[in-house]
Amino acid sequence: MPRLTRRELLAGAAGAVGAAAGVYELVDRLAGPAPTRAAVGPPSPEQHLLDGVRVVRSDGIEVLVPPLHHAVVTARVAVDRSDLRDARRTLEAALVGLDGDYATSPAGLGVTVAWGRPYFDRFVPAAAARLIPHDRRADKSVLLPEERFPSDPPQVRLESNDVAILLRSDTLAHIDDALHRIQQTKVFRLTSIRRGFAGGGFDGKASLPKKLAVTAGVPGADLIPETSELFLGFTSTQKASMGPGAIANFETLGLVDLRGSDYFRHGTHMHLSHMDEDLEAWYLNFDFDERVSTAFRPNLRVAPSRQTVPEGPKQAQTEADVRRDFRTTGRIGHSASIQPASRLQRRTIAPDGTVYPKGTPIPIRADFNTLDNPFTWSSTGESSPTPAAGLHFVIFNPSGDDFRRNRLAMDGVLPNGPKLPLGPRSAGQGFNSVLRTTHRQNFLVPPRRNRSFPLADV
Amino acid sequence: MGAVKTLPATAALVATALVTALVAAGCSSGGKSAAAKAPAKPAPARCAHPAGWQKLANRIGAPVYCPGWLPDPLVGQIGGRWNNIDSVSKDRSYLESFVWQDVDIGGTSGELHVNLRGYPGRQAIPICRTGGSDSRDVPCFADAHGTLHENGIDATLYTVNQDADQWHLLYAWHANGGLYTVSEHLAPPLTYKHLLRYLKRELGSLVLIRPEAAST
Repeated sequence: MPRLTRRELLAGAAGAVGAAAGVYELVDRLAGPAPTRAAVGPPSPEQHLLDGVRVVRSDGIEVLVPPLHHAVVTARVAVDRSDLRDARRTLEAALVGLDGDYATSPAGLGVTVAWGRPYFDRFVPAAAARLIPHDRRADKSVLLPEERFPSDPPQVRLESNDVAILLRSDTLAHIDDALHRIQQTKVFRLTSIRRGFAGGGFDGKASLPKKLAVTAGVPGADLIPETSELFLGFTSTQKASMGPGAIANFETLGLVDLRGSDYFRHGTHMHLSHMDEDLEAWYLNFDFDERVSTAFRPNLRVAPSRQTVPEGPKQAQTEADVRRDFRTTGRIGHSASIQPASRLQRRTIAPDGTVYPKGTPIPIRADFNTLDNPFTWSSTGESSPTPAAGLHFVIFNPSGDDFRRNRLAMDGVLPNGPKLPLGPRSAGQGFNSVLRTTHRQNFLVPPRRNRSFPLADV
Repeated sequence: MGAVKTLPATAALVATALVTALVAAGCSSGGKSAAAKAPAKPAPARCAHPAGWQKLANRIGAPVYCPGWLPDPLVGQIGGRWNNIDSVSKDRSYLESFVWQDVDIGGTSGELHVNLRGYPGRQAIPICRTGGSDSRDVPCFADAHGTLHENGIDATLYTVNQDADQWHLLYAWHANGGLYTVSEHLAPPLTYKHLLRYLKRELGSLVLIRPEAAST
């Protein structure tokens, strides 16, 4: 495999934004041809759902095959408040064009336009105060201010972008085309471009994270398992661990009051963060059993070198399980600690009649690995040309508070009791001892029909 | 081996101080830049500094492995400039550690750290404490990654190691009724593959030194 310099990898990245599309051409070459995907129908009302996602079996477990390529563009709105309706029409025309040219699937292109609090506060404050859904359980807006969590380093940047656009595809050219068309609308001033990749190893070939990490020469890359979906060596898209269908929609679980309006029905909440991953520490200081304990739960026995571990409702841990494990081992597992907050605690019937059994996962993750440090390109110049293993974390929850509960559980703040006495980033705290979050922001994802400058039309 | 810098006297002093802290805390990985190259042809297996190793074998009453080659500027001389640990435990197990650090203004930029251990009469992997507030017992060597046959030695590669071998790649093998290891720190200027080449060469250069019969 050719070893490339970061300069070669990032050729053109720091220049014009249009040139940034070339950054990950290498990824496309290493990925080979896009995998075969099922044909899909017209776009769903939800922006955050992808059709045509392939299901394969890995270590005997059903796994959703993520799109190979990902990008997130963040931006500030570049037009005045008085021009918002024109901007809405312009952006929507571009997005409709993308919908027409690409199926909303990994084979085509997934586009998710998500809006941050700065947009609502600056451009449509009155309508936002009236119509942004309200979380009944938290008695707060679904779109919460950004915050640092107990295991976050103090230097975590809480971002204030107006908008984040998530682009997903098996074909990098589709993402680059979308990026170009969105840029051409001239309604945004970009603040960052973030790129990455996932999967590619389910057919037994070396995965993209493995190939890219080795090619870039990031420390610890040689120890990543050959076919690993992500840098840390375990599959994270088990079908049974991902929120099914529309479960993360505002309206599905009854957590959210839509304020007497359908404006945000079929919408959701998105959290976007970036974290560095210390692969060398992960693979040189944690043996396989310890990596399993850390990623899943203490004392879980998994066959050596296995990458896909069952994560279904039967394996879901209760709060009592997590507390017991902590009492006996002084540790919590990453998955186990989240599950008391992220799984349905009882059988739930959605307004559309869909039955979600107890133990069903609620969040829908769309995270992907990256060599960005921390971004491919940033308007602030904070991006370094030195490649670094990391993760752009993207997750959809029914509300900001729902995400917050999940994230706090990772730090030992379980839903029904006192905080587990875990030190920040301690070894007992699962992944957080090798992950270091650098940036965070919350976003509201409107339904597809209102994805362009939401509330500018009311 | 012209690629490796030699240390100025002041830097060597700093390096010595850093080495002490380094070994106390296990090996760390800082940012470093120097590039060392292995010679193209391995030297024949010959103990470069046999006196100290013979003394060690005699002291523990068991065979020891003397390195015929270590990456420049390291030399396998017990009591020499780069030998920062010369330790024998009550159970007769030994640790010989050799460290070189390249110290530039503002930090450490390169490091070479090789440990050679022997555990006479021991077959099982020893147990180490992890340290810290949640300290627990763990195997001192774990996560086997295949085997290597070199110089008549059948060694297993371990990638998760403890104590002075933390952050090292380590080969362990059984011989002479005991357990032996050689490990080296995975840190710049070495990459994973480069380090495996070094370890292979180090294994290939080992010379067995048997204890001399005790004089009466």
